Amino acid sequence: MMESARAITEVILQEARKLAEHIIQEAQQSVEDTLEKQRQRGINRANEVAQSIFKKAENEAEVIKLRIMAEAKIKANWAVLSKKEQQITAVLNETKNRLKILTQSKEYIPILEKLITDAGVILGGKELEVLLNEQDSTLPLKLGKLAREISEKTGVETTLRSSKEKTKVIGGAMVRTIDGKVVMDNTFDDILKRRVKDLRSKIAKILFK
Amino acid sequence: MLEAFKAIKEKHMEAKRIIDEATAEAEKIKQEAAQETLSAYEQAYNAAINQAEQKAIDVKREAAREAEHELEKILSQAEKQAKKIETKAEKNFEKAADAVLNMVLQ
Repeated sequence: MMESARAITEVILQEARKLAEHIIQEAQQSVEDTLEKQRQRGINRANEVAQSIFKKAENEAEVIKLRIMAEAKIKANWAVLSKKEQQITAVLNETKNRLKILTQSKEYIPILEKLITDAGVILGGKELEVLLNEQDSTLPLKLGKLAREISEKTGVETTLRSSKEKTKVIGGAMVRTIDGKVVMDNTFDDILKRRVKDLRSKIAKILFK
Repeated sequence: MLEAFKAIKEKHMEAKRIIDEATAEAEKIKQEAAQETLSAYEQAYNAAINQAEQKAIDVKREAAREAEHELEKILSQAEKQAKKIETKAEKNFEKAADAVLNMVLQ
């Protein structure tokens, strides 16, 4: 009797241990499943957010590209334009040098006289005075002859006198009415300044054609 | 006979205790895992986001690298163009200076 009871109790205990083990394994499996589901949920949610991160990154990358390319184009244009500008300025400087050299030559006096006459004609004659730089003031200009030429061209009796006031210019002349109200500036400096736009355009056409 | 029943009853009680303990242990495992569950979500989420952010940085870095490469090409072309301009200008310099002088003296 005791033998069969022992056998029964052994079976009961074995079954109980198996069941206990199963309960714990099931709990562990359930935990693992839940953890895996949560991990997957986290990944899925992150993937949704990642889409907007990628989209934003792509937009920003495009902006970066456009910005760098725009900078590149500006720099490139600047490099080309500044080189052109440099060459145009060099020609203008050369012109000033040549004008300075011209003022030292024999050819200068008739040029200066023509500039004075032209200015006098534009002013319409009458009583005029001529302003020159220090060096040109020493030149043997025939102001009487020039005044007659102006009179002939304007039909107005004209007198020309040299002003004590001196200009600080490369060359050429400034002519004004005796009351100083009207001035015609025919100095090389002012001619260059007045015509700089045309001159630059002309220089560019010749230099870069 | 009584002893046999008594032994069976005792073992039955022991078996119940084993199962009760296992049930309690299982409950404990589940409770402890509740915190881990939240942590697992956060860890997986953060890892995926970090990866995405790193990829985003790489995308932007690559775009900048490509654009910088293009920039260098554009600047190099501009430099060549500027050099051509300089050569042409040097060749036509005298002609331009003569023309300007004539314009001023006209």
